[in-house]
Amino acid sequence: MSLLIYGLINSVILALYTVGFSLTYGISGIANFAHGALYILSGFAAWTFMNAAGLPFWLSGILAVLISAIIGFVFYWVLLLRLRGIPLAELIVTFAAGVAILELLTWKGFYGIRYSLPVLVRGGVEIFGVGIDYQRFIVLACGVFLVVGLWLFVHHTRIGLAFRAMAQNERTALSIGIESDWIGSLSLAFGAALAAVAAMVVLPLGVMESTIGYEVLIYALAVAIVGGLESTLGMIAGSFLIGYGQIAAARYIGAKWMIIVPLAAIVFVLAVRPSGLFGKFKELEERV
Amino acid sequence: MEAAEHTTKQPNGAGDILLSGKHLMVFFENALALNDLSIEVRRGEIVAVLGSNSAGKTTLMNTISGLIVDMKKKEQRRGGVRITLRGELRYKGEEILTLKPSERVKRGIVLSQERHPIFRDSDVLENLKIAGYLKRAGNLKERIQFVFELFPVLKKLRRRKAGLLSGGEQQMLAIGIALVADPELMLMDEPLLGLSPLLQADLARAIRDIRQQGITVLVTEQFARPLLPVIDRGYVVENGMLVFAGTRDELFDNPEVRAAYLGM
Repeated sequence: MSLLIYGLINSVILALYTVGFSLTYGISGIANFAHGALYILSGFAAWTFMNAAGLPFWLSGILAVLISAIIGFVFYWVLLLRLRGIPLAELIVTFAAGVAILELLTWKGFYGIRYSLPVLVRGGVEIFGVGIDYQRFIVLACGVFLVVGLWLFVHHTRIGLAFRAMAQNERTALSIGIESDWIGSLSLAFGAALAAVAAMVVLPLGVMESTIGYEVLIYALAVAIVGGLESTLGMIAGSFLIGYGQIAAARYIGAKWMIIVPLAAIVFVLAVRPSGLFGKFKELEERV
Repeated sequence: MEAAEHTTKQPNGAGDILLSGKHLMVFFENALALNDLSIEVRRGEIVAVLGSNSAGKTTLMNTISGLIVDMKKKEQRRGGVRITLRGELRYKGEEILTLKPSERVKRGIVLSQERHPIFRDSDVLENLKIAGYLKRAGNLKERIQFVFELFPVLKKLRRRKAGLLSGGEQQMLAIGIALVADPELMLMDEPLLGLSPLLQADLARAIRDIRQQGITVLVTEQFARPLLPVIDRGYVVENGMLVFAGTRDELFDNPEVRAAYLGM
């Protein structure tokens, strides 16, 4: 039973890690390898607002999400603009920016037990004999809320529809007046904001460290690759496969195997079905 | 063929000059895609640009719609093919040759591209909604309604994923998308390509209905026969150069045009 429940929570955490990454990639084709760095950076930003400026957690959280979004937006115009259309260069520049952020955080001394975000509600409850704290429920709720909210957003708002247009056919989008650089930079800002939202609900479960940034990136990549890079359903399925795989591995083999699962999944999927287990269109191209 | 003389011949009732391109030149590196091409479209006209494959029709459409400006920018970023634009392109008297595509859409120039690229993951209705990106909500419903009146089959299929439509239905949708973007000058790049003769005739009639809405149409095609009943004037382009210009009757009477583009 605890396997089932903790697997579920772990899966939702993975989905939260990934949702911003795959949104950005789906719309603009940019694999934002600074995703993990933005995740942990916004955690430290919220911590700083709380402890240096004395703001309440909810306000610090909102500010951290905004800052992350702005960084994503600026990334596009400053770092990515001249490299658009060269996937490898985009990947290298975002990865370099991510490493720079993470190393800067370490250098400035942002590690140690005192860096943690508060949980929204203290305490916990026992379900079927398994103890769960309330924060993990919040993580679940937030995961569901984000996925449903995003779906509504992209299908029913003007910007969301423009996102979908750009993701599907850039030239047709251009010919009806949608601007690719504007939408591209918004997609990066949205992805970065989603990383920060995930940080605000997941980070209170533990202590913050800059190396978490690398971990989050690896998890996001693993989920995105397993699920296929362009489908939401694939992303959710990928989260659950790896999420449950990890908990099962920890239970039956040993806790240190948890990090092996996503890495093994990446290697396995890339070897067997490079478009991801649920990827839709690339399948044909691969065959050709 | 005789030299192009395009300014003097208009049918009666045509309005003021909407679009005028003068001495347009487009280079891809050193290859000349458009060579000193001049063209004029008056308000309320249906004008055809005829030419074979690689004659420069699509380059002309991309030049007028501004897609070429975007292509040029992208090529520059990745250090690819150097695209050079020369000449003069005026829309309602304003020079637009270097304007971004979105600015031209705002001014009323909308392109429906060749091979009907639509948003294949979205359903038909969503495709049309996306096209309303620059438009106000109330107006959007009306425009979608007009598209459904023009192509009733799209209304029946409005919940179907666009990628699952047939080629003809996708072509109607592509035209519908451009119509929802509210054009004053509608550019259609080979809308009849690959369609059955029956559908070609339907689409030709639709083009006439579109003009009834006060929309000026510039349309390219390789084979002119299905289009001929609805056009006012036509240009013939070969190797990026204008080789003939005239009214519908003049096109019809010219033996070379008849042989090459009408199959008679």
